Amino acid sequence: MKPAGQMMKQVLRGGSAVIASLIIGGASLTFAQESVAVRAALVTGGLPLDDPNAAAWSSVSPASFPMSPQVHWPNRIQEVTVKDVAVRALYDGKQVVFLLEYADPTQDPDDGAALEFMVGDKKAHFAHGQPMLQVEGGPVNIWFWKNKTGKAVDMSAKGFGTLKPQAHQDVNAKGAYSNGTWKVVFSRNLSTDHPEEDVQITPGQFISIAFAVWDGRKDAAGELVEKGSQKAVSSWWYFRADAPPDYSSYMYAAVAIALAWGFQFVLIRKLKKGQ
Amino acid sequence: MGALGKPIILMVTMYLFLKFVLPNIPGSAPLPSSLIFLYLLLTVSGIVIYETLSGESKDAFWGPMQGFLTGEKIGGLQALRYGVLILFPLLVGWQTYGSTATSDLPPTEGRTIHPAPPGEYTGLSNPVPKTPDNIMQGKGFYAAFCSPCHGGNFDGKGPAARGFNPPPANFADPTTIAMLQESYLFWRIKKGGVGLPIEGAPWRSAMPRWEVELPDEWIWKIIMGEYDGAHQSPRTWE
Repeated sequence: MKPAGQMMKQVLRGGSAVIASLIIGGASLTFAQESVAVRAALVTGGLPLDDPNAAAWSSVSPASFPMSPQVHWPNRIQEVTVKDVAVRALYDGKQVVFLLEYADPTQDPDDGAALEFMVGDKKAHFAHGQPMLQVEGGPVNIWFWKNKTGKAVDMSAKGFGTLKPQAHQDVNAKGAYSNGTWKVVFSRNLSTDHPEEDVQITPGQFISIAFAVWDGRKDAAGELVEKGSQKAVSSWWYFRADAPPDYSSYMYAAVAIALAWGFQFVLIRKLKKGQ
Repeated sequence: MGALGKPIILMVTMYLFLKFVLPNIPGSAPLPSSLIFLYLLLTVSGIVIYETLSGESKDAFWGPMQGFLTGEKIGGLQALRYGVLILFPLLVGWQTYGSTATSDLPPTEGRTIHPAPPGEYTGLSNPVPKTPDNIMQGKGFYAAFCSPCHGGNFDGKGPAARGFNPPPANFADPTTIAMLQESYLFWRIKKGGVGLPIEGAPWRSAMPRWEVELPDEWIWKIIMGEYDGAHQSPRTWE
């Protein structure tokens, strides 16, 4: 009996290990395929503000988002170089920093990348906040980096043809190219003095974010292939700076357990007295 | 335990009904767990009120419970009693934790896939005669303007589709154009994503507003080509 019982135990143990690994593996697989949000973890020891290759980035798992050629409005483009972007983010009490990473076979002066955010409570269309016919939309805030200039431009738009640099430039960016991969960091203070044109980042709050990339290669005639509205774009996804840990629900649960226990105690005492 | 049997069966039946039967009634949807909890609470209140209406039924109802909680020499039920007394507070604690813990998930945005069109776009019929020539022309326009996203095979899998969320409609799927009228497609093609009402989440759709680029006649021909190519027919009310 004993060996059989032991074998049974082993089988059960092995079986549950397999099931557990399937669940964990399956869960992480789904996550890798379907990122819906970029999360910024809170760090205390300083942010890699201008270093796309900082060691701090290796501890952050990237969220990956698919890109499409911009076909929504003219001028369109049917095919683009960049098919996916991997995005990481970190923040401390004061600043946030994003790392955008994507494959691009050549380094060109006109290579560029951008982050786009909804600003305020109104929804904005992902194409530069273009007006919607039945919904009153809001503006978008665009952080644009170009290899040639090596810096970021903080921009605003509310509809086609309205994109322009802001009077107050709050964003920094730096790109690093190696082995067919661009790594670009964008950084800014969590909040600015201009909430009507700049995205304001509150830890714990989800904010809509989208991405755009231009491969600055030229065709046989020496013309830029991707420029202006002819670029790779993503839909809206979410960004969130993780809220500081909150243990209050553990406290509420402990109070609830104590109350339930007290209720039982009183009930049984009453019942016993009644007998 | 006879007096307790019926209430227990009633509770279980109620739970199964709310969880598995109700969501399957056409026009219904799965109930959130908080609502199920509320309904079960109401059921319990109803049972308690009913069972305590008369002195007789009150004793029959409370007697076994009192026996279970305080009786002596109840044999194997003793272990069950301690189990209940330990599990009940834990369950209350778990429920409290679940309802107060902050969610890590992004906000869910229910999107109505086929929201109602504005009045002027209901009941229009295709003014272009359905001739092989016109269908052919429609397919040509489709190939030029629509297929990059909606696909050469009308399956929503064009080369430009992958980055868009929501994905471009798959016309071969019987839940898209086959359940819509031509008039509806005319509205969606003309006004595009930005023409959607708020429940259609217009800020997410990449569908162009084709009215600024294509004449109405081309749009009607595209609709014809789309149905023909996807082997679907428009919905009619006859």
